Amino acid sequence: MLRGYEFEQVSFCMHKPGGKLPFDDGSVGAVLAVVENESLREQLVAEISQVLKAGGRVLVPSSAPSSSQKPNTDIERKLLMGGFVEVQASTASSQDNVQSIIVSGLNVMAKKASWSMGSSFPLKKATKALPKIQIDDDSELIDEDSLLAEEDLKKPQLPVVGDCEVGASRKACKNCTCGRAEAEAKVEKLELTAEQINNPQSACGSVVWVCGLGDAFRCGTCPYGGLPPFKPGEKVSLSGNFLAADI
Amino acid sequence: MAPSAAEADSAASSSGRLLVLYASQTGNAMDAAERVGREAERGGCPAVDVLSMDGFDPSRLPSERFVVFVVSTTGQGDPPDSMKGFWRDMLRKDLGAQWLEGVRHAVFGLGDSGYQKYNFAAKKLDRRLSHLGAERVVEIGLGDDQHPSGYEGALDPWLLSLWKSLNETNQSLLPRVSDINDPNLSTLGDPKVHVIYYSSNEVPQDSILSDPQKIMNSARTMSPALQFHDDGGPPYMLQMVANQRLTEEGSDRDVRHFELEDPSSAISYKTGDALEILASQNPSAVDAFIERCNLDPDCYVTIRGKSVDKISKGSAVSSLMDRIKLKTFVALTMDIASASPRRYFFEVMSFFSTAEHEKEKLQYFASPEGRDDLYQYNQKESRTVLEVLEDFPSVQMPFEWLVQLTPPLKKRAFSISSSPLAHPNQIHLTVSIVSWLTPFKRTRHGLCSTWLAGLNPRKDNTIPCWIHQGSLPPPHPSVALVLIGPGTGCAPFRAFVEERAAQTVAEPTAPVLFFFGCRNQDNDFLYKDFWLTHAQDEGVLSSKKGGGLFVAFSRDQPQKVYVQHKIKEQSARVWNLLLSGAAVYIAGSSTKMPADVTAALEEVICKEHGVKKEDASKWLRDLERVGRFNIEAWS
Repeated sequence: MLRGYEFEQVSFCMHKPGGKLPFDDGSVGAVLAVVENESLREQLVAEISQVLKAGGRVLVPSSAPSSSQKPNTDIERKLLMGGFVEVQASTASSQDNVQSIIVSGLNVMAKKASWSMGSSFPLKKATKALPKIQIDDDSELIDEDSLLAEEDLKKPQLPVVGDCEVGASRKACKNCTCGRAEAEAKVEKLELTAEQINNPQSACGSVVWVCGLGDAFRCGTCPYGGLPPFKPGEKVSLSGNFLAADI
Repeated sequence: MAPSAAEADSAASSSGRLLVLYASQTGNAMDAAERVGREAERGGCPAVDVLSMDGFDPSRLPSERFVVFVVSTTGQGDPPDSMKGFWRDMLRKDLGAQWLEGVRHAVFGLGDSGYQKYNFAAKKLDRRLSHLGAERVVEIGLGDDQHPSGYEGALDPWLLSLWKSLNETNQSLLPRVSDINDPNLSTLGDPKVHVIYYSSNEVPQDSILSDPQKIMNSARTMSPALQFHDDGGPPYMLQMVANQRLTEEGSDRDVRHFELEDPSSAISYKTGDALEILASQNPSAVDAFIERCNLDPDCYVTIRGKSVDKISKGSAVSSLMDRIKLKTFVALTMDIASASPRRYFFEVMSFFSTAEHEKEKLQYFASPEGRDDLYQYNQKESRTVLEVLEDFPSVQMPFEWLVQLTPPLKKRAFSISSSPLAHPNQIHLTVSIVSWLTPFKRTRHGLCSTWLAGLNPRKDNTIPCWIHQGSLPPPHPSVALVLIGPGTGCAPFRAFVEERAAQTVAEPTAPVLFFFGCRNQDNDFLYKDFWLTHAQDEGVLSSKKGGGLFVAFSRDQPQKVYVQHKIKEQSARVWNLLLSGAAVYIAGSSTKMPADVTAALEEVICKEHGVKKEDASKWLRDLERVGRFNIEAWS
């Protein structure tokens, strides 16, 4: 039964009713409890539990002759009530090589629970309450947050544009990450040639000449975009910005 | 509650009127509200009033019959400043579910679905109104900056359904409802501004103001566009005594440290306050505008809005009859070379255009079909009023319309980066000088930051200023601090650290953790020596004092490292400080940063205390309610 266990020390003692076992709490690895008349007093169970280490085992060999196959329910029950786990009754193996006093009959084995005394054991993550903030009960006013519900946090459906294309209706978001804001900032316009600077005419060949009228009248791609109004033939004045390369 | 005589009067007059209440932060909600009012007038509504929420007493709401709300939501999900008082009154528990019985309402919100708390201010208002017994005329309309056409993409169909619904239930409200969207009808109506002109010899010399401060006060009080924005002043005319560049020459960011003084007396301010500045416009731009509009720069004017429902705070009756040079009025109150005009500006221009192609283009820009092209031409190019007028040379708009429609010259606010304990007579600012390239490669500059950067401390200069309480409440010295301020967000925290260092001399102070972020240690580590000094020995940020200085240099290594990564690295320390009652402050100029940092803090709480994200999130919201979690973000 106790094969596979190594014991540093083996002690024998008699247990008197009402007495304490001469061992420190939680110091004993295994207890072999030999009892008379199949009776295991609750007090002894408690003592055994106290001196056993966490996970330690107790064995109560059967004192009944093998012919009596009655299961040792009383001892099992006492051990269970005493807080032991894995309580089970079993027969001795006849192949046991170890000289032992365990003969036939049902022997009860049990194990002390493997969590140690006094420790808290979270079954699931329990939430602790945060320290309460003392709010001066401005009892005159209702709590305005109570006016709104979950659904008020929903974002509106904005008109969907096919892709994040500049020039389509959708504006870049304030924290744009798709590059749309940068593309919007850079206006797609045709390059301004030297000829167009010195002798400005209509840039797009339209019959009604509007480029010189100013940004309000120009096409989005007009190369004169951003320049002040001018008259045809009058040389266009450029600000420094226009001479900077498009990066 | 028995109605008083005044209430009974207003009940009679408000039964047939349409009231449009708006809460605007940058002017968009105001534009939208004015459009609602104009369309109602076109439809023949007998009485229409368009008011900012901070000019209306909510206790008068029950006596209204038709109210349209036009409400912007800021990036953090908050209502605009002008709505805060109104909203507080609406949240009162004692109002009851019948308070607004008999009132019919409609809400239109302006927001940006790129933010988590999309249109929260409008949504909450709409719900609250219903709970209080008001009846919805139409479902809430949600304008979205992310929509290709901006908020007008939602406003156009919403208005159609609003007028239809109102007309079905109450035909007398809009007797000519079909006129609203009739393309054949184009009547302009009258301007809402009245101008009296005086030639210079008509004005007695002794009535002409000479003190610049008084002139400014007069002009800004007189301007109808500033009626609900301004609060008179400016109370301080400060002088710049230091102008230092904090970033390395050659780095693409120009961040300055400015020191301002009052030459005549001591300034009184608190750590955490904000300084509002009125920038000067380029004089040649003002001249160009006056010439383009055929105005006489030297004549004197008195200007009044025609419907004055609320006398603006701080204006004496006498100032309503002040006379001021036209050129001065333009320079001080009309933004002609920085802000872009609104859609309605283009619509009105079309009425005053004499060239057919210009008229067509202007009408197109003002139409729903032309909205996208207008956006490309106007907003994306940061087109100014002056540029637009120069692009449409045939337009001769009367001065009254120009006064009404030109965007008002607005003050710019900056967090003060000094503590009065360390610098009793100075105000320090940390300012990023703004410039950008438009899609057509035109360089644009921020008006105020550029003007400040160009001031020479060794020469005479004058900066008109107001001081206001900032949105970051100054902490008590016994409260531990977790400060997160990347980039120019470090400005208010420089003030906090200066303050605490000064306080430590006299009394024990609680520890401070400061998280800073920038691109490169060598380029833009703002106030590097200041932070390092306070992190050494027994400084406020030193480990000896339980403090800490943590810096993320995002571009100094292949992978990006930001403040939120540093926060997570210091998870245990941050949590311990929070447990001990620390207050968290987040400041900076990015739209995403506050959300990213908040998420990092939630992760810290989850990890250190083993709770679920929702619980951590709620805990931070509770901290916010008691003033221990504060965010100041600017765009």
